[in-house]
Amino acid sequence: MPGQRPERTVEIAKGTDCWRGTFFAMGSPCELLCEAGNERDAKVLTAIAADQAWRIEDKFSRYRSGNIVDRINTAAGAAVEVDAETARLIEFATQLHTLSDGRFDITSGVLRQAWTFDGGDRVPAASVVSAVLQHVGWHRVDWSGTSITMPAGMEIDFGGVGKEYAVDRVAGLLRDHSGIACMANFGGDLAVTLPPVRREAWQIGIESLQGESARPERVINLKTGALATSGDAQRYLKKDGVRYGHIIDPTTGWPVKDAPRSITVAADTCVQAGMLSTLAMLEGAGAEEFLSAQGTEFWCLREP
Amino acid sequence: MKHSILLAALLAIAGCSSMGVEAWDRDILAKDEMQLTSDPVEAALDDHIYFSKEASSGGRGFGGGGCGCN
Amino acid sequence: MVAAVLAAAAVAATSLVMSDKKMRKKNSKQISATLATATCALLGGTMPSPVQAQEEPGWDFNTALLYYGEDEDRVQDLSLNILATRTFDDDRSLTLGLTVDGLTGATPNGAIRQNVPQTFTQPSGKGTFTTPAGELPIDDTFRDTRVALTASWQQPLGRLYKLSFGGSASKEFDYLHLGVNAKLARDFNNRNTTVSAGLAFSHDEIDPIGGIPQPLTPMLDVGDLSNRGGTDTKDIIDFVFGVTQVVSRSLLFQVNYSFSDSSGYLADPYRIISVVDGVTGDTIPRPVPLPPGADGPSHVFAFESRPDSRTKHSLYGQAKYYMNGKVLDASYRYMTDDWEIDSHTVDLRYRWPIGGSSYLEPHLRFYTQTAAEFYTPSLVAGAALPAYASFDYRLGDFDATTAGIKYGWKTRRGSDMSVRVELYQQRGDIPAGDLIGNQVGLVRYPDLDAVIVQYSYHFGK
Repeated sequence: MPGQRPERTVEIAKGTDCWRGTFFAMGSPCELLCEAGNERDAKVLTAIAADQAWRIEDKFSRYRSGNIVDRINTAAGAAVEVDAETARLIEFATQLHTLSDGRFDITSGVLRQAWTFDGGDRVPAASVVSAVLQHVGWHRVDWSGTSITMPAGMEIDFGGVGKEYAVDRVAGLLRDHSGIACMANFGGDLAVTLPPVRREAWQIGIESLQGESARPERVINLKTGALATSGDAQRYLKKDGVRYGHIIDPTTGWPVKDAPRSITVAADTCVQAGMLSTLAMLEGAGAEEFLSAQGTEFWCLREP
Repeated sequence: MKHSILLAALLAIAGCSSMGVEAWDRDILAKDEMQLTSDPVEAALDDHIYFSKEASSGGRGFGGGGCGCN
Repeated sequence: MVAAVLAAAAVAATSLVMSDKKMRKKNSKQISATLATATCALLGGTMPSPVQAQEEPGWDFNTALLYYGEDEDRVQDLSLNILATRTFDDDRSLTLGLTVDGLTGATPNGAIRQNVPQTFTQPSGKGTFTTPAGELPIDDTFRDTRVALTASWQQPLGRLYKLSFGGSASKEFDYLHLGVNAKLARDFNNRNTTVSAGLAFSHDEIDPIGGIPQPLTPMLDVGDLSNRGGTDTKDIIDFVFGVTQVVSRSLLFQVNYSFSDSSGYLADPYRIISVVDGVTGDTIPRPVPLPPGADGPSHVFAFESRPDSRTKHSLYGQAKYYMNGKVLDASYRYMTDDWEIDSHTVDLRYRWPIGGSSYLEPHLRFYTQTAAEFYTPSLVAGAALPAYASFDYRLGDFDATTAGIKYGWKTRRGSDMSVRVELYQQRGDIPAGDLIGNQVGLVRYPDLDAVIVQYSYHFGK
């Protein structure tokens, strides 16, 4: 959250048969598990991961003043030239916007001004929502491939892809740096650099909660690839018996009805996994059907 | 007496509708040590010992027993 | 070895539904190919290898080795237990249990202490054993191993119901048990309340060495099994109705009502009761002297007798409270039956975490029971025989206390191990009115002191 800067420190601990480096980035606790031979190697790998995560956070967070996102959001209608990395992210956002029929939209962040997801039942008036909706819509943005021109009052937010992008970037760097098998987990979005040597696979546990005793813990054996989770935890609204998840459909300005509580998807990269889980959420009741059609491995949790 | 116990239990369910937590607040309840029977093997062993040495059995689940020790 | 836990919304979930992976083409576009291309452009460089993600089938093993030992040459038991659970998709699971235990040592046979030596015919009828003067008669009947198996299947039925059913069987040289059980549970109030009802049937066969004795007939000489013979059965039906309620994030409780009805042979075929003089209270010496070369009991003893049915009602309540990492587990059980036995049990456990991966758990249990209506130290010679009589200490009036401590830790591989040591003691009373003449001061409840040591190893997944 803006105003509170958690410390940028890295801690290393020895785990069962791998090293575990932890740090805080992009609003989440992050960890890097690596099969390094010694603490020094583990420190080096974790430093690579942490530095990359903080670099991406500084560059693309909407809470930092002066970075490229801030400059774009305060341009007030003027054109802004962007660097190659930002251009690639914007290009990706454009393609996903088309692919998702407008449901994935990096200008939709302003809708949070209309909605407060605190478990209560304060639903904004339709006029308020449509007013804010005037400032939403990638089709209103002029993207040339190198420079972006946005009407005043609109904002872009890479929050929907930023963490997954960081995970994949880190995985790529670590893969290039050494042959040591690692798994980078940024608050539940994770990717594997290489299959582990000292065990069958990286094991990730999903806890499922039942009413009473008997909580089966599902364990996923991940040899290669990535997992991402979309979920709404405490952020939701309940009015007149209807539950509104916190993912807002940018085409309507309203939250999705009947969205699952959380979706975990396995894919080749964290970005793909994250996009699939977000798009599935936006399908609401049709989330499982959507994911089945994509042929990916996924786990959907619904409200009882 | 049996009937009043049953009735009390049913009333308890009705009264219980206001108690509880939302699904995402079940983190503590999900822990191993918070399960009502956190160690089923130990519970079964204890049940067996006390079934063999005392005149009462069960309570938590079924009566236990099934051995020649009583 | 769980390497990482999905921290985010996975914890917030309430139910897990695994989908099938059939291709459903209606209404859903295939976007993965385009997504893959777009991602490739975003990340640049070479794309990583295709994902390989598979859910672990989920075997969980809970094993324990237990030693139970009473003092003064009484019972010692060593048992090995294994409980294996296999979890399948959609929260279905299979649990298999195996227990093997070996019992040695002696147990009080129901005869009262005397100031003279007493000789008893062994239950097999093949020999005798003698208890020295002044000592509590204990029977060293040969007991061998018992093997018990359980199996149960649990699965959800629809969204709110959970069904479980199973069977159990156990065998020792003189006893066979077979049982089936089923339980249905339903969630209410956003899964904060669970109501369950269960039913179990047991059919046991008792095949004692020497055969089932006729109740209240005398213990005979070696080689004479004329009042013994055959096998008998015991059938038990159990019903449990329970409510579990989540009160808050750190408190939950359950209340169970149980009903149990046993019918058939409910006595202990090896237990006897001393026949005494109505004035002195001394056990009557054998009336007919032993023929030469023969062997047999030195005094008059009768086989015990118990009713052929028993109905029990229990009310049980348990609460678990979490305070800052520590967990308090408190339970109370009240039991009453138609043998006039009433009991109260209070059980307290307090789990105390140490560091990140170990804990200490002290345990206290208090138990008290009143005697069965037909519990009596002796039968008076010449008086009318009561319908039922037993001096089995387990049916008497006593208090029992357990005090123990358990230490548990997580191994380097992430499994759980624990060791517990407990002391169990029974202290009982025989009402003065039940004692006759010289029995006062001589005949006491056979107080029991036992130690329990258990090592557990829980691994898997």
